[in-house]
Amino acid sequence: MSTVDYSQELSVVEGRPSLRELDDLISKPLESKPDKKFFIAISFTGLMLLTGITALGASFIYGTGLWGNNNPVGWGFPIVNFVFWVGIGHAGTLISAILFLFRQKWRTGIARFAEGMTIFAVITAAMFPLIHTGRPWLPLYLAPYPNQHSIWPNFISPLLWDVFAVSTYFIVSLIFWYVGLIPDLAVLRDKAGTKVKKTIYSIFSLGWRFSNRHWQHYEMMYLILAGFATPLVLSVHTIVSYDFAVSIMPGWHATIFPPYFVAGAVFSGFAMVQNVLIFIRKIFNYEHIITLKVLENMNKIILLTGSLVGYAYAMEFFIAWYSGVQAEQFTFINRAFGPYAWAYWIMISCNVISPQLFWFKKIRTSIPIMFVLGVLVNVGMWFERFVITVTSLSRDYLPSSWAYYTPTITDFGILIGSFGLFFTLLLIFTKTLPVISIAEVKAVVDGAQPTHKDH
Amino acid sequence: MSNSEKNKNFWKSLRDYHDDPEVLKLKANEFTDGVTDDFDPSELSGLSRRKFLALLTASAAFTATACTDYRDKGEIIPYNKRPAELLPGTPNYYSSTCTGCSSHCGIIIKTREGRPIKIEGNPDHPINRGKICSKGQASILDLYDPDRISYPLFRRSKISWDKVDSEISGILKKAVETGKEVALLTNSVFSPTQAKLFRELKTAFSAVEFYKVDAINNLTKKDAWQACYDQMPLPGFKIENAQLIVSFDSDFLGSEGAFIENSAAYASARDVKTNGSLSRHYAIESGMTMTGMNADYRLKMRPEAMTEFLAALVNEVIRKTDVSDEFFGVSFKGADIASIAGKYNLDKIKVEYLLSDLIKYSGKGLVIGGDHLAKDDHILINLLNELLGNQAQYDFSKSYASESFSDVRSLEKLEEGINSGKITAVIHYDVNPVYTLPPAYKYHELLKKVDDVITLTTSENESSALSNYILPINHQFESWGDYYARNGVYSLQQPVIMPIFNSRQREGILLSWIQGKFRFEAYHEYLITNFEESIYTKSGSTLSGKNYWYASLHDGVVSLPDDQITLKRFNIAVLPSEVISTASGISLVLKPGFNVYDGRFANNGWLQEIPHPVSKVAWDNYAAVSPKFASENGLKNNDVIELISDEFSIKIPVLEQPGNDDNTITVELGYGRQVCGEVGKEVGKNAFILVGKNSDKRKYVRSGVKIQKTGDTLALASTQEHHSLDDDSVKDIHLIRNIIREGTLEEYKKDKHFLHHEKHEIFSITAEQEYSGLKWGMTIDLNKCTGCTACITSCNIENNIPVVGKDQVLRGREMHWMRIDRYYSGTPDEPVISNQPMLCQHCDNAPCENVCPVNATNHSPDGLNQMAYNRCVGTRYCSNNCPFKVRRFNFYNFRDHFADAYYHDDLFSLLNNPEVTVRSRGVMEKCTFCIQRIMDARSEAIKDNRTLKGTDVKTACQTACPSEAIYFGDLNDKQSDVAKHVEHDLAYHVLDYLNVRPNVTYIAKLRNTHSEEA
Repeated sequence: MSTVDYSQELSVVEGRPSLRELDDLISKPLESKPDKKFFIAISFTGLMLLTGITALGASFIYGTGLWGNNNPVGWGFPIVNFVFWVGIGHAGTLISAILFLFRQKWRTGIARFAEGMTIFAVITAAMFPLIHTGRPWLPLYLAPYPNQHSIWPNFISPLLWDVFAVSTYFIVSLIFWYVGLIPDLAVLRDKAGTKVKKTIYSIFSLGWRFSNRHWQHYEMMYLILAGFATPLVLSVHTIVSYDFAVSIMPGWHATIFPPYFVAGAVFSGFAMVQNVLIFIRKIFNYEHIITLKVLENMNKIILLTGSLVGYAYAMEFFIAWYSGVQAEQFTFINRAFGPYAWAYWIMISCNVISPQLFWFKKIRTSIPIMFVLGVLVNVGMWFERFVITVTSLSRDYLPSSWAYYTPTITDFGILIGSFGLFFTLLLIFTKTLPVISIAEVKAVVDGAQPTHKDH
Repeated sequence: MSNSEKNKNFWKSLRDYHDDPEVLKLKANEFTDGVTDDFDPSELSGLSRRKFLALLTASAAFTATACTDYRDKGEIIPYNKRPAELLPGTPNYYSSTCTGCSSHCGIIIKTREGRPIKIEGNPDHPINRGKICSKGQASILDLYDPDRISYPLFRRSKISWDKVDSEISGILKKAVETGKEVALLTNSVFSPTQAKLFRELKTAFSAVEFYKVDAINNLTKKDAWQACYDQMPLPGFKIENAQLIVSFDSDFLGSEGAFIENSAAYASARDVKTNGSLSRHYAIESGMTMTGMNADYRLKMRPEAMTEFLAALVNEVIRKTDVSDEFFGVSFKGADIASIAGKYNLDKIKVEYLLSDLIKYSGKGLVIGGDHLAKDDHILINLLNELLGNQAQYDFSKSYASESFSDVRSLEKLEEGINSGKITAVIHYDVNPVYTLPPAYKYHELLKKVDDVITLTTSENESSALSNYILPINHQFESWGDYYARNGVYSLQQPVIMPIFNSRQREGILLSWIQGKFRFEAYHEYLITNFEESIYTKSGSTLSGKNYWYASLHDGVVSLPDDQITLKRFNIAVLPSEVISTASGISLVLKPGFNVYDGRFANNGWLQEIPHPVSKVAWDNYAAVSPKFASENGLKNNDVIELISDEFSIKIPVLEQPGNDDNTITVELGYGRQVCGEVGKEVGKNAFILVGKNSDKRKYVRSGVKIQKTGDTLALASTQEHHSLDDDSVKDIHLIRNIIREGTLEEYKKDKHFLHHEKHEIFSITAEQEYSGLKWGMTIDLNKCTGCTACITSCNIENNIPVVGKDQVLRGREMHWMRIDRYYSGTPDEPVISNQPMLCQHCDNAPCENVCPVNATNHSPDGLNQMAYNRCVGTRYCSNNCPFKVRRFNFYNFRDHFADAYYHDDLFSLLNNPEVTVRSRGVMEKCTFCIQRIMDARSEAIKDNRTLKGTDVKTACQTACPSEAIYFGDLNDKQSDVAKHVEHDLAYHVLDYLNVRPNVTYIAKLRNTHSEEA
């Protein structure tokens, strides 16, 4: 440890790869034909997607009755999945925008990929509010447009806020991602072998010529967009949490929900990014760009947000007791000891207990263990949404209407399909766009920036 | 072109060619006479060319657009000659009589465009007074049942009526000639005209003999009365006057007899909010019944022990009071209160209270016995009433009429006749003996020995399956009839629709055999003739016979002067000598199905889906056992057991029923139909297999029953979760959360305001909406509600609520807009039950409204929480946020989904209320406070040029409620009943602390228990 020189920033990229090497390395997956492993992977995710499409098709033909939803439990798997995927979509923008503003250089290697995951997670998530309705062929009723009935959407409904929040987040994330891609697309354009590729890259790189002026505008634009995206990271899950917090259901009606949901979203998002990156860095030989240090940093954030989530769980219990409202108290006791206790304890052990292992540096830096813990976090976070959504509804105010919710095979089909969609998009992404920002990595390679020490 | 061609002269005729002057004149005047003269545009219609074109385009546009998506692809037939009494869009009402059970209640049938759509009670009928039970209301579904037989069948193939008539006449004639017998099996006959018809049939064909096979009746009670007083009729009860009611295994508020009448009377004696007092009710019962659930005190006891307990009470009463000389010395040996209390583990304090109250309320009380009790029990009950001077509560003006036709033979004779070969043919006259007769008679075996089996029925049943002739008969709404079930009350039945299928009225079929040929109007005329002969002459009316007939038909009921009856002396000679019960082991009580009666309503989806008032189980019957019994025998809910009584057994799932006697199993009859329509087939298990013979002491009580675990399970579809009463986290939540608020009469008398001492002042941080005009509201008196489910059925029919089937009920997706919540408190052994009708509360601060993203649910200026089905996209958020969970979601298109599009049958669309939208898949729905009735009343008010008043509207649940527990009206009209009830000391809102401000107010239930317990 004594060898570390704290007077200067640590290099985020190991070794001193030449700039040309970086170009080649990062654009290699795009220039080579997909190999057998890729096809195996995409056929697997494609199969999952197909399962989802089948389940969804059946639901469209026969009705939402194919799901497990019943009378007290109006929201089941689709809403659980929605909140889960929106949560996954949080890490990307957080890494690329917030960490950018905080000058966290270690984010450089993972930002592009995380942003991509955000886009795909939000696409996956956005599907659910549309398909979960009883009449999914009428989504326009949610859009504010002048119509002959003179009916507007209900602007005081949190579900409508959701529509705006998620679509805003999606659009801004997409623009942010695209703007970041422009210099890289130009690199690819210059390297492109075939005419078709060249044309496509030319169109999307918007005539980028690496001129000083371009860089100046670009940096400013990127900064502004980062500033713009930052509040959205916080607002989206805040508003998603309003779906619950604004209602009057015990277990939902809680002021702690917005920060609690945001922390949970970052928690699960980081776990998902960490999981996928472990594969990416291995398969594409990016170990020196996405270093162990980066993974360790992510694990630290998982530890932090995991503890925040744990605090929120404890605080919910405390407030339920402190409120003196019997219905509220009952809901929490019922969560922990009622018919859904199994889900609750899965959630607690995955979200609160297992991330605490990251206090140990050995665990934090062991790739197999961190992978397992990352998976557990996402299992736990999915169950958190399940616990919140289902247990509160299944036993609410009037005991006469209480009922147990059992998901059906269709529910699982759609859940599997959502993973299929996400990973299929992700696989296509790895073969079509640079998964690491070439331009940004070049800027953080040792020696890339002029200093008064070197050169 | 040549010049000649250019100047060509055309001629049209030879006269023209020759320049005839007439032609020249005509040519000069282009328009002939009469064409120009009359052509004055101002005299033509005011239609300008421009307007004409506009109209032309508009009508073209209308035809092009309006009809393009016209959903009804069937034929549209206009009334080109409208029937005089029909106005499209306006309902017609006809009074008639319900023949669903032997109560024969008066009904009003609402028809729209010639099709019956709703049944309500006939307010002029002295027995049911405008109310009608679930079964009566839902029987309308049977009318449109696609499973009805649509033409006569011979050996399961179609045959013409003419052929049937001649063949059966042949059978009858042959039997007469050969001296054989034709057995006609019927239910008890309460129709004077039908009785006359039977007698004429007997005259025409002497071979015909009659046998009575109805499964459910109060014959034992009647026998006991006959024995005690050596006179008939059996009186009705003035339950409304009784300050103390003691019921012995009697479900007089539920599945027994005229329970609609009883409920009304019972409720009027428990109207605390008006009278400030309550009757006191003790129920001594074996199983938990609706009656027991409403009682102030409840004692559990096996059915065979009732005799001993009654005898002991008699002993005590005689010991403690001055009885008249004739009863001096009456004493039952061995019957002793203290020893019984020990023997059957009765609560000594409750028994003490019962005894002291019986004596205290001498002359003001009433003891009632259940239909399935033994004759001895009824004799002791009569004696107890006699000793206590409770005869004041006997009502001879509403006494039970004796059967109109009593020339029937016993079933033993039938068995004998068939075995000896004397009986060559059997006619099932709208009965199903193969299903209802106990297997001890081996009736289906007997049928094989008969040459011809003729079944008159509306739809296939177990008896028709073994018949060679099956004759389809009219539904009750397609039939003429008259009934005399209660003395002094003669009620008429008239058809309201032409027979839908090729069926005939059952009486008409018999008549055609007598008269030799069928005429459609024959029985109608026969009825009028009999009416004029017997009723008109008795009435002393000054109207002409015809006018009197029409007037009676209009009213549906004729009140005849009743005979004055003086009660004879009680015959102490009939008192039982042996009263000590030796019963041990397990007893089984078989009760008529609350929803399906004796199985005749099994194919009625509406009734099958009504949750049982006590257990909340739909679509099944079950063996109800006490929780203690279940744990002792290692049974859980849904475990299938084999119930064995003598050599007969059934396999049936178990239901833990708190409050059941620990040695008694209760099973409902009428389920497990094997040959039935699509809906009722094999729903539940057939318990008729366990019923004893008519000659048994207690036909419906089996002693010494054995049970055996089978290891199978069968999921019972309950609309309420079963959670253990012992679970501390769940116990009494309904009381803690102010869902149910209760007190005792003593508490209330001491402090009228006792309910509201802990009330918190709740304020809103935003401005409240002002309701200045009409504001709709409802009040429900929990003291009066007995939980009979008549309101649910009424709501279902009025609002086109679909039947979803057992699989969906199991998933918790029943669609009922109204439900009756049942809560247990106390212990599993001695539960206290609270009922609460629950429907949309139409909250002022409705939590469902603000969360709907598309504004599909919103508030009307008169305080209604409205639902715009067309706008709803089905996010279900409103339902999630409803603290009362009264919203219902169409998870499927239930009309297509259920049992292979069963509901999709064309016939069922005739049943729909045209004023209420049929909801599609993916749409949320809920109680509307019968908005269609409000709009109807509003348009009536506008028509009459007056303002709409709250009292103009009655909701469907309100009209159906036999105990008048539901009031509806304008909360801003301070003079109205609802407004007064809302201000009442006992009024409360469910979950008031949420500040959602419900517009349904409940009147807290008071229990008339002794103050020491309070």
